Amino acid sequence: MPSNDSVHTLYSDHHSWLNTWLRSKLGNAADAADLAQDTFVRLLQRHEQLQLNAPRAFLRTIARGLVIDHWRREELHRAYLQALAHVPEGQVPSAEARELLLELLERIARMLDGLKPKVRRAFLLAQCEGLSHKAIAEQMGISLRSVERHVADALYHCYLLRYEDER
Amino acid sequence: MAPSSKAVKQAIHWMLRLRESGNDPVLAQQCERWRNTQHEHELAWQRVTSLQQDLDLRAIPGAGVALQTLETSQRRLHRRQALKLLGGAAMVGSASWLAKDLDTISAWTSDYATATGERRTVHLPDGSLLQLNTRTAVDLAFTEQQRMVRLKHGELMLTCSQTPYKGQPLLVQSRDALLEGFEGRFVVRQDADCTRVSVSQGRVAIHHPGTGELQWMADGQNWRIDALGAQRLAQVDMDAAAWADGLIVTRDMRLADFLAQVSRYRHGYLGCSDDIADLRLSGVFRLENPDQLLQLLPQTLPVQLRQRTRWWIRIERVA
Repeated sequence: MPSNDSVHTLYSDHHSWLNTWLRSKLGNAADAADLAQDTFVRLLQRHEQLQLNAPRAFLRTIARGLVIDHWRREELHRAYLQALAHVPEGQVPSAEARELLLELLERIARMLDGLKPKVRRAFLLAQCEGLSHKAIAEQMGISLRSVERHVADALYHCYLLRYEDER
Repeated sequence: MAPSSKAVKQAIHWMLRLRESGNDPVLAQQCERWRNTQHEHELAWQRVTSLQQDLDLRAIPGAGVALQTLETSQRRLHRRQALKLLGGAAMVGSASWLAKDLDTISAWTSDYATATGERRTVHLPDGSLLQLNTRTAVDLAFTEQQRMVRLKHGELMLTCSQTPYKGQPLLVQSRDALLEGFEGRFVVRQDADCTRVSVSQGRVAIHHPGTGELQWMADGQNWRIDALGAQRLAQVDMDAAAWADGLIVTRDMRLADFLAQVSRYRHGYLGCSDDIADLRLSGVFRLENPDQLLQLLPQTLPVQLRQRTRWWIRIERVA
């Protein structure tokens, strides 16, 4: 756990720089201030000693992850609202159900980050659409063996992320 | 101890094979044998099935558009990253984000658990028989002093061994009550707001939390227990023990309540419109294929099924 002192020093030396950097990425002062704050909160939660040789590169690495999370949320909301526009009236889920789904989608999207597109696609077809492996193979134009491997690989990838802390 | 990556991969393999086969009973038996050969296998299995449930979109209404939403947003996110942030550098994710709700943890730290639609029989060391219904987790604590089955969620049936066993009481702890089985067979179900107990044979006692006094429940009785106390139900609309035979048996049950029961055995959303929620249903239904069971409804009631995806079914009045 880093000492509060070292985080405090980082904060006073680099906070305004980080704020400016974030604003240039996000184009929005309020979001930038929030994420700058979150960046330092993340630092306080880390278990290892801080590596202070290149503090700005270090801060940027953390802030970049937060920016991606922020955008992912935005894009998910946007894509979801667009998809809902095509759902027949009367079948549009309640506001509560929508929130629940978006939250789960965000978790899944983060988890699948970094997977190859084919692996990701095969997994999602099985997971979201409930297609059989055979149907997925046909739709994607790949062999049944590949589908089985992709789906299993994706699950294993998620498993490692999910249980990382307990290993 | 965390299971080895080999055990995890095997568990994933089993899970996918079972899912693909539509829970083929022979395969299910083989899988159960594999789970029973080593504790590590069982642990890997619990984790993989709970992960699978974590990622299960099907239980959430409106998930029909999930794939489209995920794919579209992913494409846009990549474009945005490439344009504004990374310029080709490696992506950095934050991995400590995953919420770990209590049920998920309880499923893989439990001694025995079942997935959605699964039923399982466990032979206890004293000769008693423990049967677990769908989505159930229990812990066992068999010590010198007592035999305890802790029901964490779901539903169990306990058939007490004939002979008293070393003078130790046989206890079932649910969230709302401590029960003691003396003989015969009874069912305990943990609902969101209460614990339900049905005695098929013999007798069962509720331990009063304050005084330790026993409240007796006899053969054929049904009880509802919550924080306010235990209450005997004059009438029930469903046979509480029928699931152990793979059946749902209803008497004059509300359609909405019936669908809530069926939902426990299948993934995804299942509901009905308000104007038909109070229609009544009596009958014997086989659990082995809940979706097939739903197809029977239009034969007895003025309803129709609207199915948007495999996991989204809504029952509506026939126009």
